[in-house]
Amino acid sequence: MRKAASRVGEARSRWGGALILVALFALGAFFISRIPAEPAFPRYVGAGDPTPRAGGTFEWTVGSAVRTLDPHIAYDTLSFQAVRLVFDGLLDYDDEGNLIPSLARELPEPLDDGRSFRFRLREDVYFHDGTHLDAEVVSFSFHEMLSRSKGSPGYGFFKVLKGAEAYHQGEAERVEGIVVEDRFTIRFDLEERNLTFLNAIALPFAYPVSPKNIERFRGDRAGLARNPVGTGPFVFDDWERGVKLTFKRNAHYFEKNRPNPDTMVMWENVDGTTAARRFRNGDIDILSGAPKVHLLFFQNSPAWKPYLFLEPSVTLFGLAMNCEIPPLDNVHVRRAIAAAIDRQAISDFMLGLVRPTGQPIPPQLKGYDPELPTAQRYDPERAREELRIAGYPNGLPEPIEVWIGEGEGSRNLAQLWQSDLAEVGIPIRLKQVAFSAYLVETAKEKTVPMFVSGWMMDFPDPSNFLDVLFSSKSIHPVHSENRSFYRNAELDDLLDRARGEIDPEKRASLYRAANEIVARDAPWAFLYNAVDFVVVQPYVKGYRHHPVWANEYRGVWLDLPRRAASEKDFDVHSRDEVRTDGVDGGDAR
Amino acid sequence: MDPRALRKLWRHRGAMVGAALVLFVLALGAFGPYLAPHPPAQQFRGELLVDGLPVGPFEVEGFPLGADPLGRDLLSRLLHGARLSLSIALLATFIATVIGVSVGLISGYAGGFVDGLAMRFVDLILSLPFLLIAIVIQKSLDGAGIFFISVLLGVLSWTGLARITRAKTLQARSLEYVEAARALGYGELRILLRHVLPNIVGPALAIGTLMVANMILAESALSFLGFGLAPPAASWGSMLSESQSLMEWQPTLTLFPALLISATVFGFNLLGEGLRDAFDARL
Repeated sequence: MRKAASRVGEARSRWGGALILVALFALGAFFISRIPAEPAFPRYVGAGDPTPRAGGTFEWTVGSAVRTLDPHIAYDTLSFQAVRLVFDGLLDYDDEGNLIPSLARELPEPLDDGRSFRFRLREDVYFHDGTHLDAEVVSFSFHEMLSRSKGSPGYGFFKVLKGAEAYHQGEAERVEGIVVEDRFTIRFDLEERNLTFLNAIALPFAYPVSPKNIERFRGDRAGLARNPVGTGPFVFDDWERGVKLTFKRNAHYFEKNRPNPDTMVMWENVDGTTAARRFRNGDIDILSGAPKVHLLFFQNSPAWKPYLFLEPSVTLFGLAMNCEIPPLDNVHVRRAIAAAIDRQAISDFMLGLVRPTGQPIPPQLKGYDPELPTAQRYDPERAREELRIAGYPNGLPEPIEVWIGEGEGSRNLAQLWQSDLAEVGIPIRLKQVAFSAYLVETAKEKTVPMFVSGWMMDFPDPSNFLDVLFSSKSIHPVHSENRSFYRNAELDDLLDRARGEIDPEKRASLYRAANEIVARDAPWAFLYNAVDFVVVQPYVKGYRHHPVWANEYRGVWLDLPRRAASEKDFDVHSRDEVRTDGVDGGDAR
Repeated sequence: MDPRALRKLWRHRGAMVGAALVLFVLALGAFGPYLAPHPPAQQFRGELLVDGLPVGPFEVEGFPLGADPLGRDLLSRLLHGARLSLSIALLATFIATVIGVSVGLISGYAGGFVDGLAMRFVDLILSLPFLLIAIVIQKSLDGAGIFFISVLLGVLSWTGLARITRAKTLQARSLEYVEAARALGYGELRILLRHVLPNIVGPALAIGTLMVANMILAESALSFLGFGLAPPAASWGSMLSESQSLMEWQPTLTLFPALLISATVFGFNLLGEGLRDAFDARL
């Protein structure tokens, strides 16, 4: 009896288990089926009104956290995005990357053979706290930024101002080269002729700040970083740290009736894949910096394609080699490395989001030469030959340690050239390191032999690449900007001459000569220039990918009222691609 | 070993399924690299990458499972990965077992101050978040070899076994034949090894088998997060990691390594459960 009873119990429990399992699966399947699919075409379109007008809320996401809203301290792309909404400079760049006046009435004429510049200011500019912008305020801002206590990372750009160093060291009360001529006129006198100075004036470090606000937060750096007061088209509203920043349209902006959204919301710490999903769901208005695989979707969707921007950015990426660490102190080893890497394979792998290069100056800038004779190119035979000359006919005996970034993308990309290098006899050992450690360690002499390196320009001028990355003046024992510790007296001389050259043709040819030297000596294996990948919603108007600022949202306006899109809004030929579920009628916000 | 336990194991259906899976996976690890049609790190960019994206299963002849995101033969990487992942898991388990059993034996047999100290040390290690500590150690010592990862996983996971061993030792210490051995004047070491240790073998086997499954998962997690073997080595975890972003586009890239990981973990768990039932090795 007992035996039989227990068998029944066993059977019941077995069936019970199976039943629970089936129920769970059914429940899971039900929930999965309720997850709305992302539509294959944009969820919303605009009203179709071509007249620019103000209003609405513009939202976008960024991948990490904004560090500061203090323009004197901000020195990363995310902080720049936020700072540029709240502040204006004396000068700015137009959509072509040319300098244009902003708070200044016109571009200043160089005086004294390019050693002095006089700016006449607009007289109708007020800060968000009501302070009237005049020459004294501009002078105050510069003194604040150049002071030692501020510790601005932009100080180096303004060292050329007469007396800036004495003031920075505390030896002078004022910067001798900043002269207030009358209420709305200010003059900058330089130590030497320098034509890149106007570019420095257009950097966010030089944006005028409200003296009242600076005094309010005197001694409270964190407070100042969170409470910006500028003259810009948007007034800072709120910052929920690590989550989002909110800005309101400046109704009193000096340029009247700007067609800007009423509210701008910048979401922080949203990773690329999440951002892509939110964008496809219509929750955010612009998508930038999504992983490459999402490009496939937007490129292959006829409805999205018109709103996709692929813009080559003025950037440089490559493998930096420390020229003081053997065997990389041997130019032939460096050339072998530069010749061993198949740049086209990298570009293919990145689905065209990078363009191969073999020289330091990016294609958009003066001095770039598509026919540069010393340009590095993929040539494994040449790489083996250079190794032979260097005394390694059988390849390098020891692997070289190469530092790469964290994450799947860096790891995959690195294995691409790891295999190329192994092919010609250069073994390497990849080490993934955090960005912060990378920044500190690669700037120290004789520390990291080889590492992936990238540079985004501060302003569109070849000096911002060659002077910073390859001049021996940028070498410092612990905080080196020239992280390959490459020295060449001939190059230094060319760069010095180019900096003061007024004739643009001569200047360009000097930079081309410098470009040729750097490509030949291979302190880096120059690999590629990046392409920015941006998609906007159909109702977002006035977006132009900016050559200097990249993600520039000062000029966007929204074609309101937006409404749910339907298939008919798009010329979609393949009906299979279109799913209509998940499209609702209302505004999701 | 207790023959009744073995008989019990033989009749345990789950354990037998587990044993079959384990045998299969071990065979993969042993012979896989010889069966692999291509070198695991060789990139066939021309054949296996179309517009920068890897081909899928059965699209190109000679590459039945298609390519990984870098144009390497997926099948070959899976087969080589089997040996790597299993080597690490088995070596780590061996290390953890040796440490765990030694600490448990000594602690349980010595008792008193030694016992207290050892058990508090066990508590300390158990209180550490496993993956986090593993990552910190991996980062600070900067090791990425098979041996390093195995030792790292091993020295962090012996604590459970030490506790069980200690409990079994305490039990065994008061058994009559142990008392008899002591009365006969045998040395401590001899008593420990000849009379106490055999009581531990069964439970240790059960726990060790379960541990292999955990080690496979731990190694996969470390590699997935980018703290495992240095590239271009192929372990199942690093294969998952390297195909993350293409997961939606080409699901088989993540499916195959994930299936192998699951099968291995499932097999070792089933076998381990069976052994545990057979040897009654409950904590």
